[in-house]
Amino acid sequence: MHKKYFSHQLKKLKRAPQMEAKVVVKVFMALIFLYFITAFVFLGGVIYPAVSKKFIEVEAIYLINQAMLYVFLIGLVFRYFFQQSPVTEVQKLLLLPIKKSKIVHFTLLRSLLSPYNTTPLLIYLPIAISMLRDDYLFSEVFAWWLSLTLLTFCLSLMVFLMNKNMAVFITLLVLFLITVLGTYMDWFALHEYTGKALDFVIDYPWGIGFFFLLFLGVYSFTFRFFRANVYLDGDLNKKEEAVQSQAYERLNFMGTYAQFIKNDLKMIIRNIRPRQMTLMSFLFLFYGLFFFPQEIYADNVFMKVFASLFITGGFIMTFGNYVPAWESAYYKLLMTQNFPYRTYISAKWRMMFFSSMVLTVLALPYLYFGADVYLIILSAGVFNAGSGAWIALYGGLFNKSPMKLNVKAKAFENTQAFSLTQFLFTLPKLFLPILLYWIPSVIWNPIAGNVGLAVGGLIGLLGQKYILNDLERRYKKEKYEMISSFEK
Amino acid sequence: MIQINHLSKSYQGKKVLDIEQLSIPSGESFGLVGNNGAGKTTLFSLLLDLIQPDQGRIDNHSVAVFSSEKWKTFTSAFIDDSFIIDYLTAEEYFEFIGSLRGIASKDIRSQLEGFSSFFNGEVWDQKKYLRDFSKGNQKKVGLAAAFLGQPKLIVLDEPFANLDPSSQFKLKAFLGEMAKEKEATLLISSHDLNHVTEVCSRIVLLDKGEIKRDLQTHSSTLKELEAYFSGEDTY
Repeated sequence: MHKKYFSHQLKKLKRAPQMEAKVVVKVFMALIFLYFITAFVFLGGVIYPAVSKKFIEVEAIYLINQAMLYVFLIGLVFRYFFQQSPVTEVQKLLLLPIKKSKIVHFTLLRSLLSPYNTTPLLIYLPIAISMLRDDYLFSEVFAWWLSLTLLTFCLSLMVFLMNKNMAVFITLLVLFLITVLGTYMDWFALHEYTGKALDFVIDYPWGIGFFFLLFLGVYSFTFRFFRANVYLDGDLNKKEEAVQSQAYERLNFMGTYAQFIKNDLKMIIRNIRPRQMTLMSFLFLFYGLFFFPQEIYADNVFMKVFASLFITGGFIMTFGNYVPAWESAYYKLLMTQNFPYRTYISAKWRMMFFSSMVLTVLALPYLYFGADVYLIILSAGVFNAGSGAWIALYGGLFNKSPMKLNVKAKAFENTQAFSLTQFLFTLPKLFLPILLYWIPSVIWNPIAGNVGLAVGGLIGLLGQKYILNDLERRYKKEKYEMISSFEK
Repeated sequence: MIQINHLSKSYQGKKVLDIEQLSIPSGESFGLVGNNGAGKTTLFSLLLDLIQPDQGRIDNHSVAVFSSEKWKTFTSAFIDDSFIIDYLTAEEYFEFIGSLRGIASKDIRSQLEGFSSFFNGEVWDQKKYLRDFSKGNQKKVGLAAAFLGQPKLIVLDEPFANLDPSSQFKLKAFLGEMAKEKEATLLISSHDLNHVTEVCSRIVLLDKGEIKRDLQTHSSTLKELEAYFSGEDTY
């Protein structure tokens, strides 16, 4: 079964349209993947010696065990956004003469071997080796490693349930928030307890039995849930949602553009992938929290501007980058309707323009870190609204892969609507504004840097007529190729 | 009036369409028949500027299709699934298309009054998105939307395919009425010779991209077409 499956995948790749481009992308992705693997192995290799050097009085592994809670929590968020549910594969198997429970076991077990689960093991293995060199017994280390593996599997299964079951989702979300809040406010330190659980396995390797029981519990719960719901047209494969009708009357002041913007809002709300992307753009809002509170970044202009661009431009990067491709499924319809191309482009620009303004306003709490911090965010917001949105639309010209709206994006496998040229387009989006800030701030002062960045945005705003004309001409030229590749 | 001159298109060196001259007067109901690969959809796609020709030109009511976008103001079409926006409800879809053609959302239902029996109670107020409609009902929505806003030219590719038998008859009756009124030019392609000869006043037969027959419909047209396609044609 696996062999056939593999050969089909190979054929799918070989016979795909734009094969060369896809191979390049795959190779590129493989390199990125390799980079991460190396980074993970390296991380695992250095973390143990580093911790034992820094904290001499405590066992290094005890500290690492405490940190594991956060590793898993971050993993949970990441998986929630990217990990695909295995049921998408089930449908093909259902028609074969195989028992349903067997199919469910097969899919669930195979899903455990996904990169989401194997990659974390790459971090734990070097730590395990470090432990062995530090005179831990093999049985102790093995029990520790195995319990982490089992926990990873549990996490993976829980994410599937989270995606399919609202109750599980809410429970986990509440637990997540309590943990983060509790630790942040110093009410309790959950990591100490979870750390102890892992310490226990090292001290008493038979404790692994508890983790086995936990895994079996989660597995059988997941199994029962999927087994009950796996039918050709069952809940899991196709959900008929209740309609939420929105009229968005308030948008009508924008005239013709209103229709497009209303449609985009509906698209975002009603389809998995754009919803996921938009959610991510709000997460970018918190990106600054990594940089602004830290002393070491106090003088790091590069990082500050970088963070500010993400804070205010999250939507442009996640949504704007894929602009015509979002509508690949009905692009032919759009191209025959009664509106000129420039109205369409202009409507998309407006969406992104407003998103930057909204995000800039939502970023107001950053004032807490000082007026100068918010000033950078504000000027980055002006840049993104004025010029960033246009740059994203230029990037869209190279974006000719169709996109399925109602499925999740995959991390590491994001070949859908991904192109190298387009990737290269993100570079000016980041480096141009950094230069705009950096040069005047070095010559004069930081205020001049802010002005430089804002002027960069104003140029896009003032030159919009010229830019729009140019974009319209280019989009018209690419129209036929877009239509034909969107059909594939 | 649609005027086509020296139009040709090939893919990978293979000619798929080659029309020397074809004119379709305003108000005509024009049927296009031919086997798979005859060039029907290619012709329609060219007319809607969805693909580029190798050479030649099309003038749609005096608008040069390949250089101006003005034809969009009076032309509408339903070609295939890609004319459906599947995350909208039927009402929202009509509203979107209608608004682009200058129809207020409150007037949409009255404009589509004529489709009520065609819709068969399966389109309005369904409280579900088009992606949850059956293929046939999706098609009903797309076809009806093509008539919104009194377009001068309506292009329908295989309108009868995928519809259930009753819907096919209702659609045929509706198109027949339209054809009689002669207010809009109707361009219809179909594999169903029966339906197309009943609706259209003129039939053009395409084969391997070339016009093989150009017939004004009369009582023997169906026979003639059947003879051609069954290979019993003696010409």
